[in-house]
Amino acid sequence: MQAADNKIYQDKIVIRLIQFSVVWAVIAIGAGVYIAAELVWPTIDFGQYWLSFGRLRPVHTNGVIFGFGVSALMATGFYSVQRTSHVPLFAPRLAWFVCYAWQLIVLLGALSLLAGWNTTKEYAELEWPFDIAIAIVWICFGVVFFGTIAQRKIKPIYISNWFYGALIIVIAMLHVVNSLALPVSIDKSYSAYAGAQDAVVQWWYGHNAVGFLLTGGFLGMVYYFLPKIAGRPIWSYRLSVVAFWAFVYAYIWAGPHHLHYNAIPEWVQSLGVIMSVILLAPSWATLVNGVMTVSTAWEKLRTDPALKFIVLSLAFYGLATFEGPMMAIRSVNVVSHFTDWTVGHVHSGALGWNAMITYGTFYFLVPRLAGRELHSTRLANIHFWLAFSGTMLYIIAMWAAGVSQGLLWLSIDGLGELSFDFKDIMASMTPYYLLRLIAGLVFLLGTVLMAYNLFMTLKGQRSVKVTPPAVDPAYGVNA
Amino acid sequence: MSSNISSLTLLRSLYQPQQAFAELAGSEPSARRIFLSYSLWLLLLPPVFALIGAANFGWRLGADQPLFMATGDLLTISIGYFLALLFGLFSTAIISRWMAKTYGASVSLGRHMALITMVGQPLAMASVAHLFPDVLVNVLVLIPATIWGMYLLYAGIPVALETPPERGMLMASALMAWLLVAAVSLLGISMSLWVLGVGPLLGV
Amino acid sequence: MNGLTFHRKIEENTGLLIFGILFVSAIGGLVQLLPVLTQESLETASANTRPYSAVELTGRDIYMRENCVVCHSQQVRPLVAEVERYGPYSRAGEFVYDRPFLWGSKRTGPDLHRIGGKYSDDWHRLHLLDPRAVVPNSIMPAYPWLDERQASDTGDITNKLTVLRRLGHPYTDEQVANAEADLEGLTEMDALIVYLQMLGTGFSEEDAAMAGGAH
Repeated sequence: MQAADNKIYQDKIVIRLIQFSVVWAVIAIGAGVYIAAELVWPTIDFGQYWLSFGRLRPVHTNGVIFGFGVSALMATGFYSVQRTSHVPLFAPRLAWFVCYAWQLIVLLGALSLLAGWNTTKEYAELEWPFDIAIAIVWICFGVVFFGTIAQRKIKPIYISNWFYGALIIVIAMLHVVNSLALPVSIDKSYSAYAGAQDAVVQWWYGHNAVGFLLTGGFLGMVYYFLPKIAGRPIWSYRLSVVAFWAFVYAYIWAGPHHLHYNAIPEWVQSLGVIMSVILLAPSWATLVNGVMTVSTAWEKLRTDPALKFIVLSLAFYGLATFEGPMMAIRSVNVVSHFTDWTVGHVHSGALGWNAMITYGTFYFLVPRLAGRELHSTRLANIHFWLAFSGTMLYIIAMWAAGVSQGLLWLSIDGLGELSFDFKDIMASMTPYYLLRLIAGLVFLLGTVLMAYNLFMTLKGQRSVKVTPPAVDPAYGVNA
Repeated sequence: MSSNISSLTLLRSLYQPQQAFAELAGSEPSARRIFLSYSLWLLLLPPVFALIGAANFGWRLGADQPLFMATGDLLTISIGYFLALLFGLFSTAIISRWMAKTYGASVSLGRHMALITMVGQPLAMASVAHLFPDVLVNVLVLIPATIWGMYLLYAGIPVALETPPERGMLMASALMAWLLVAAVSLLGISMSLWVLGVGPLLGV
Repeated sequence: MNGLTFHRKIEENTGLLIFGILFVSAIGGLVQLLPVLTQESLETASANTRPYSAVELTGRDIYMRENCVVCHSQQVRPLVAEVERYGPYSRAGEFVYDRPFLWGSKRTGPDLHRIGGKYSDDWHRLHLLDPRAVVPNSIMPAYPWLDERQASDTGDITNKLTVLRRLGHPYTDEQVANAEADLEGLTEMDALIVYLQMLGTGFSEEDAAMAGGAH
């Protein structure tokens, strides 16, 4: 047996990133609730530009994706890459820099958005100084992550690392290309791309930000934590290999489904449809792998809340990755484009999949990191039902609103005249927006309960010191 | 040997679910009998209510003017609705039984048919809201019915299908995934059909 | 088994894994983006489309700063009902000076691509100051601060035109030199309204007819 190093895993940084992630979740979901309320009562910005819907919306989206989401991915990525490599983090000081620099970017970024620094490109609204900062910090993230892998004591690189790795590499590529612009002043730049060309580049970026950050990165979470909790290996290695490469290849092409019937070449739109539908296969292959992994080891499962969240998140993952390809089909897209159905689809993924798998993983991780039981299992179970019903209410309200809008906008009478005025259609959406606001409040409440629960669990605890265990020589680097 | 699950048991799941589930446990009812004597009639409620409501009040998708469609179109849509519900019931019951071995549940198709009928029953009853086909009214009535149905699914599987609690939860989540996919497919297929001309006139 | 043995090699080598991911993920982008970025027709302005004037550009930058694009699209689709509601559908040649594009992805409010000339300046002013005064059930926020700020507060307009010229927009030396003067005496509200009033006016039926109605 190889002797284990006397070094311990770098877990304090994992705890810190989880703390930041939870704080961002509360703030950014809170911002979401506020703008949902503004869609019901538009005067609650009180005439202040920094409370205006247009300025708050990107604070919400950036907050959840880059604050909540990326911090969670960094936390779980750092945790799992160490353990699958059997070495502590490479360049720990650089890792701490990544942790804090990232939080600074998100915080200052949010403030800049309120001040009106805005490229208007979705999920890339931050202006050029932030783009440069993001690129630098992201490269450091890659160095720490791949550096750890390069120093591993186990020969094969475990599959969760492929997904986190793809997250790092592809987001870097997308960010650099899409952010190209000529600065005018510190707070303003003009895009290197114009018009229809910019549209295609933007949605190559936008769709794949969803694909590799919100889908790929979190699949990395699934591939590590699900077998961990189930106490069994992934159900099918072969399936995971095929699914991974098919996923990386296919996702990139699907961007144009955001631009159906828009002024871009037909062939690009059609490619987007075909590849979006093909994408269903690798998405669901991963789902099957996850479900079967858990199913074969049921006797190891306890009815702890972590598992409930993770298992249900897979169901919503299935929904979202099915609904996406379906909405990419032109005859459905004709009705859904520009409507709240798109918003519903986004949130079935964001709430049902991303948030829930993160919450489940945090409920599993935090007690382990703190070396004590979760503060309150009862609160976590209550959270589960709040998250579940909040998500369902959100989705149903937006499906109803979106389908209504889409059909009413297109509705003509026997003489070919429009049946309804735009403003009348939108005025009738208020009840759905109210339902959605309630859904958001319910979901936020659950999140707040979790924040309390996790912070109480961590309170006063030092992180548990874990030494990398010895490696079976059959899999060692010298094997 | 098939034991009989009475229609009363199925009805009882609405207000005394735990007893109804307990009665299901250990039984091997005939799927065909359950369908023909109960489920079929339950499934007729939504399309019939929808037909009556749409014909008399017109579809209200939000803005004030109701849309009236030709009786022929309404009939087509109602029949399509019924067929979709039939497909939903059978496919879910069959998928549920297909999953049974993985989760250590009973493999009696009749039991699955009965359980899925119970899960869908609140929605079927709540479809009385279709008599006034305003989308908002329907959404407000059907959401609590949906949540009640979800509860019946999670509470019912471990008891009625006799699985250990953890496995029952996994199975319920798997079925939940199927139901979500089926619901959104229904949405997508309906949109495609409407865009292709079945339904009110759309200027595409 | 050969495929998996090959894969083992990638799985055991950090560099190969990184390269493999980069290579595989780059393909889709190259195939879709390269042709689009080099297609001349997507860079050719339609007959009546010209670069934004100093005032229009200022208005557009205000539109971007307030993020109007999250509720209003600028893309009329080639669908019967849409053309009926908004006007001629949007052609690529109308957007060649849009950096970035503002097609939007959501209509909480109506599409604005053909809004130019449909309402009076006064209507826009009233609507922006208090949407509900003009459209009772509107959920649009109000923008009172636009009237309190000068158009020149939006940023260095001369610099903006210079940068855009570097990106290929055909501004004359005169236009650049007069940019600041053009903004004098105007509020941000005025500039935004000027921008809104020119939206969609870069299109003419003759353009579409000559191009055979295609993109």
